[in-house]
Amino acid sequence: MTAASPLRHRASVLSNRRVAQDTWWLELDSPGIAAASRPGQFVMIGYGIENTAAPFLPRPFSVGWRAADGRVGILLRAFGPGTTRMARLRPGEDVLLLGPLGRPFELGRDRPIVCVAGGVGLAPFLFLADEARTAGRDVRLLYGERTGGRVFDPELLASLAGGPAEVWTEDGAVGQRGLVLEGIDWSADRVLLGCGPSLMLRALAESAAERGVALQVSVEEHMGCGVGTCQGCVVPRADGGWAKACTDGPVFEASELAWSP
Amino acid sequence: MVPVSAVGARGGSAPPRSNDPRPRLAQTLFGVEFQSPVLLASGTCGYGREYDGLIPLDRIGGLVTKAVSVEPRTGNPPHRIAETPAGMINAIGLHNVGLDRFISEKLPWLRDNLERARVFVNVVGRTVEDYAEVVSRLDVEEGFLGYEINVSCPNVKGGTMFGTDEAALAELVGRLRTCTERPIVVKLTPNVPDIGVFARLCEEEGADGLSAINTFPGMLIDVDRRRPVIGNVSGGVSGPAILPMGVYLTWRASRASSLPIMGIGGIRSARDALQYILAGASLVQVGTALFVDPSSAEAVHEGLEAHLERHAISSLTEMVGALELPAPPPPDAGTSG
Ligand SMILES: Cc1cc2nc3c(=O)[nH]c(=O)nc-3n(C[C@H](O)[C@H](O)[C@H](O)COP(=O)(O)O)c2cc1C
Ligand code: FES
Repeated sequence: MTAASPLRHRASVLSNRRVAQDTWWLELDSPGIAAASRPGQFVMIGYGIENTAAPFLPRPFSVGWRAADGRVGILLRAFGPGTTRMARLRPGEDVLLLGPLGRPFELGRDRPIVCVAGGVGLAPFLFLADEARTAGRDVRLLYGERTGGRVFDPELLASLAGGPAEVWTEDGAVGQRGLVLEGIDWSADRVLLGCGPSLMLRALAESAAERGVALQVSVEEHMGCGVGTCQGCVVPRADGGWAKACTDGPVFEASELAWSP
Repeated sequence: MVPVSAVGARGGSAPPRSNDPRPRLAQTLFGVEFQSPVLLASGTCGYGREYDGLIPLDRIGGLVTKAVSVEPRTGNPPHRIAETPAGMINAIGLHNVGLDRFISEKLPWLRDNLERARVFVNVVGRTVEDYAEVVSRLDVEEGFLGYEINVSCPNVKGGTMFGTDEAALAELVGRLRTCTERPIVVKLTPNVPDIGVFARLCEEEGADGLSAINTFPGMLIDVDRRRPVIGNVSGGVSGPAILPMGVYLTWRASRASSLPIMGIGGIRSARDALQYILAGASLVQVGTALFVDPSSAEAVHEGLEAHLERHAISSLTEMVGALELPAPPPPDAGTSG
């Protein structure tokens, strides 16, 4: 294996706080994963082999943030029974972690970075903005939610990401009313990155393709192993065939993937 | 053609003498030593390499590769997997690199990096000749012990044909017997009225072993969208949910034939593995549990070792098929209701 092997270990929950409607910010104690992660990579979080209740299979989460003291931050939204149970994790409980996994974002050098986040697609960009801003890069973080109630606690967001986000909501309750894509200045020269629901990513990818602008996206798919063995997590490639979200991605050049419905 | 497995009787070689340093979990099967009865199941460990660094393959019994077909197969549309109660459903569609790339890209790693782990190549095809071509062309290669013939994958159109049709299965096994002297293990489908009939038939046609079982056909519906969750509509169910069915079918297969059996389905602990072993399995395979925790196969191995030590059992072979039935046995333990 060329890349370092992922780590597998039990990690304590250090804190879990509600940061918006249905949305939690979970901090886990994993110095190894904190040190090895790069923005765009993910971890599998599970309850271990004794457990058969949902979530039975571990779930992939972007590394949402990391700290030098070994904390790893995870942005979690309760969608179904598995994530609802995870939202109830309390300090002192532990989970089984596997990671870091997958291909990170390529940030190049010097050019400004524009991150376009939809919903919990915010997660990798908290980490990315924090690291890139610390390294002196200019980072714009555009963040859209359907409703104001779902917008991540702005104070915590700014402290994690090393600065605020420009917020867009469809109901206009917080930030500007409209879709986050409206915030993109297509004329600027920048590294453009996207993460969010598949409909948003498709619209973003189509806009970027029309304008001949390079775009990296982080995609989501159901996962089994997270390490490339099961072929369960495929997304369609532009050239036909399938790519594995877990090891070929989760970050792809948008032009590598097929976007038609 | 003479099958290579001189061992014949289920359970392998005689138990070690008291001064024999042989590890308790070691068995001789298919003419070679297995240091551990725990293997990784087909489709859940890729071609081995993907788990390098996470699973110490040379500490367990070995692995079974993802299915290999003559032509590369692209597999099914997403979602290919989803969680079910105490398990999962998958319709990967036998996505695999095909025989040529398996030989040039996957087999060399297995050959060069594994010393003690035993490798079976899982073989799939649409016709008898497909299977025969894979087996014949692989046979001259190094890096694996034998074949696990997948006649039971429910995911490709017609995929259940060989596994549910006695005449077709007999023809397939008979034909493959002429292609190789390596061990042929037939992986049985649970989707038949009497698995014993198929177990016996494989033995008669010259197979060296059986794997029991593959996944159960199943379906999962997203009630909000009124759509199947799985892109292929239906898929195969695996994981702890199928453990009792796997144990039962292993027991039925072991009563019907004397071939060594690899027990599969829902195994995630040594006690699960022991159920299969008492029911008649000599080896076991861990599949879905690897997704929950890649350490689970090693944990099953260590748990078995600890169990034998605790109960002062000098060899695992003493446990194989050692199920004690109540006397008198129920008139037909094979029915329910
Ligand atoms: C994602 C996935 C892929 C599989 N692919 C194959 C395959 O290619 N060939 C095969 O014979 N069995 C395949 N199986 C079946 C497993 O080898 C095993 O028989 C089954 O999953 C039951 O064991 P388990 O409950 O421990 O997973 C697959 C199972 C899963 C979950
Ligand atoms: S999750 Fe198993 S191959 Fe990607």
